[in-house]
Amino acid sequence: MIIVEILLTVFLSASSILTMAFSVLYLIGLWKLFEKSGIKGKWALVPFAREYQLARCAGRENEGPVFSLTQVGLTCLDIIALLINQTPERAATVGTGDMIIAILTMSLGLVHSIYCIRIWLGMINVYGVKKRWIILCLTNYTRFIPALIWGFGKKYQPEWKIDDINAELARLATQGSATVMDEGLTVNLTERSATEFFRKKVLLRDIHMAIPQGHMVLLLGGSGAGKTTYVNAINGYEPAKAQVMLNGTNLYKHYKKMQYEVGFVPQSEMMRGKDTVLNTLLDAAKLRLPMEVTAKQRRKRVDEVMEIFGLTPVKNNLVEKLSGGQKKRLSISMEFISNPSLFILDEPDSGLDGVMARELFEQLRKIADTGKIVIVITHTPDRVIDLFDDVIVLAKDSARTGRLAYYGSIEDAREFFQREKMEQIVKSVNRKEEGGDGLADDFIMKYAEVSQHG
Amino acid sequence: MAETRIESTKRRFMIRHRGRGAQVFIYLGKLLRMFIYQSDWKVLPMAALIAGLVGMVVRRKFFINMEGTVMGAFAMVCVCIWNGCFNSIQVICRERDVIKREHRSGMHISSYITAHMLYQALLCLLQVGVTLAVTRQVGVKYPVEGQVTHWFIVEFGISMFLITYASDMMSLWISTLAHTTTTAMTIMPFVLIFQLVFSGGMLTLPKWSEPLTYLTISNPGLKVIAAQSDVNNQPYATIADLVKKMKNDKIDVTVTVGQIMDMLEAKDNKTVGMIRSQVLLPTMTVGRLKEALDSSATVAAHRDDPITDNLTLGNVLDMVEASGLWEQNKDEVITENTTIGDLVDLVAQNPDLKKHRDKVIDMPATVGDLLNLIGEDKVMQFLEEKAAAANYKMDYEYTPDNVASYWMTLVLFIFVFAALSTITLEFIDKDKR
Repeated sequence: MIIVEILLTVFLSASSILTMAFSVLYLIGLWKLFEKSGIKGKWALVPFAREYQLARCAGRENEGPVFSLTQVGLTCLDIIALLINQTPERAATVGTGDMIIAILTMSLGLVHSIYCIRIWLGMINVYGVKKRWIILCLTNYTRFIPALIWGFGKKYQPEWKIDDINAELARLATQGSATVMDEGLTVNLTERSATEFFRKKVLLRDIHMAIPQGHMVLLLGGSGAGKTTYVNAINGYEPAKAQVMLNGTNLYKHYKKMQYEVGFVPQSEMMRGKDTVLNTLLDAAKLRLPMEVTAKQRRKRVDEVMEIFGLTPVKNNLVEKLSGGQKKRLSISMEFISNPSLFILDEPDSGLDGVMARELFEQLRKIADTGKIVIVITHTPDRVIDLFDDVIVLAKDSARTGRLAYYGSIEDAREFFQREKMEQIVKSVNRKEEGGDGLADDFIMKYAEVSQHG
Repeated sequence: MAETRIESTKRRFMIRHRGRGAQVFIYLGKLLRMFIYQSDWKVLPMAALIAGLVGMVVRRKFFINMEGTVMGAFAMVCVCIWNGCFNSIQVICRERDVIKREHRSGMHISSYITAHMLYQALLCLLQVGVTLAVTRQVGVKYPVEGQVTHWFIVEFGISMFLITYASDMMSLWISTLAHTTTTAMTIMPFVLIFQLVFSGGMLTLPKWSEPLTYLTISNPGLKVIAAQSDVNNQPYATIADLVKKMKNDKIDVTVTVGQIMDMLEAKDNKTVGMIRSQVLLPTMTVGRLKEALDSSATVAAHRDDPITDNLTLGNVLDMVEASGLWEQNKDEVITENTTIGDLVDLVAQNPDLKKHRDKVIDMPATVGDLLNLIGEDKVMQFLEEKAAAANYKMDYEYTPDNVASYWMTLVLFIFVFAALSTITLEFIDKDKR
């Protein structure tokens, strides 16, 4: 008997004949709603997953995991309460367990209710119906009404459907690989994916390139194209399904040993404002330089780096007192201290005026000229484009996966995209709803064709 | 050129970078510098201010009586938890981005947390020193003798340090969980309320909530300070103070004759039994009676009073004397020993008195009169001792074992929270970009 009760709680969230009937009607309606949104109807029968799928239908995918997990929690509490109160004598008394369950159920129920409101408001938007429908959506006793009406009613159609991502991924699949160089960076990235609530999301796919030593490379792409994901993948911080070779050595296999061969400068400064420039660099040196380096040598290296980046006059100043440009240079110095072969900078010019940005990029050019690879992400490339050798263009395809739309010299890029300015190139690959030309798929396929057949 | 570069890369494989131990000192140095630059020093004057305020409130009765000591112990626990929480509640979340960057650059989270542990320990130690100095200054009189070290102040300081440090580590963990300072400061009041409510010392908690007290730092904290203060052997002054305050309050005592008689007839009652056994009239012989009459000033004063027209009391006594009646019967017993109990029983059986059992006797008096009747000092001492005995708690027993077990609990809290902080912060890379 108790097993039946538990099963009813899990599958129907019901404890009486009446609520059972309402739940069955709700699930029938949900089945149809899922089908209308392009999801298989049988998900309606899978406890906890149906909450997540409903959130997807409502365009509230981010809220889905919490909505689903709170349902798991509430069901567990219901089951515990059932097990505790099996006998009538026990059910008649209020024990410690009942108190704790009541408090937890109330707290969790409140969170679940808030998410329920958010998700059903999303459904209201998707179906373009009046907001007053929300009243029926809030209780287990009435929720079946909107589910059945919207599910079976022909005049109720969702404004958009969930795309068949797999079909899109198959349609836009490309192949290729870059030849490994003894000197330089070779990236053969097949896939970089992330699993979010049991759903695999492909963030990057099919990116192959070989960057020679001494090149300064511009990394372009619209918002969400996967630029940061890409640099995190190539520096080994967030490994992808890929082979990344730096000077002939596999970076992923020897990540710990090669960690300081790659310097990554993040977009924001990320330094302690209350420490001095000198101490910040000395600590960075202690962390990044080998143990064999003596304190004297370390200090010498710090002095050298401060000299290169023009920080010597402010070495005793607190970091928070530095100008925007000085902070950027300090942030770069911290990574440069270990003399890396590959140097990656995420928007180093953000917050800098044209003159200061130019000076900074000129310094980066000098670093590249010493035989290092410098990869720079920037949103204002045209003012310093003459300093770059190559450009990488990443774009989001129609399956919303970051793809390589181009890698090559600046001049060839202008010809390939038929656009003079780099910002125009970015615009051409951006999605239409982002104000772009929506040509990402075309350029991805074109580049795949060009790179395979020369 | 290519070969040189490959060789250079391979050579780097032989290079060792700083491990966990060495990194601890990098970050410890950084934190010590920050103590000056980042206004962390402000926690010291803040601790002095709080200690001063609390000390002024608790100084009169702390270590003097049971209630004052329990209240003082609770106040001290509050001070420690407050200090500890504010030391570290923001330290991680305010530099989360920096930590993320440094972790990416090879920083070990365990080294970072260990550096914080060392630094925060130093900070807590200074705060405890300041708190003890300030409370002494404002008039809190600490006992002299300790249990283990012979210096009470040292043992008390260790307890305060462990409470402060455990709270500090708890806040450090919250700081690793919260991504922003705003979130951390929102969580903190809930944690503080939980700590204070479920300390199990001040509020009487329902039975079901008792397990929750084991999750608080305040619970062992309060117990250790109470145990060290030997609270179980201190007088419980509240009842005696109340009685003193009521000294001038009038009491209209009204009792019936029957109530008094019933009380006096209760032979089983120990006190009544004692009263009843008091001898009222000792055994009387003729000889004793004569001695009494001869020595009685009253009899002497009335010797010339006439009994009949020509016979005085003196004539009668002289005639009896002359007849030799006294001498002949001098060993004759007139009455046996008569106790108060005998008298009470006699009276109780009197049918006339039985008729008056319901008669009310009014005795207007004050509480002070009653105290004076029994002896005020005796009453007060009795009340304080008995009330203290009634409030005795095993948890507050003044033994080295008890104190050591609470210290160990607090140490356990410290390491659990430090471990949780490390584990939580290891997931920093999962932060949304």
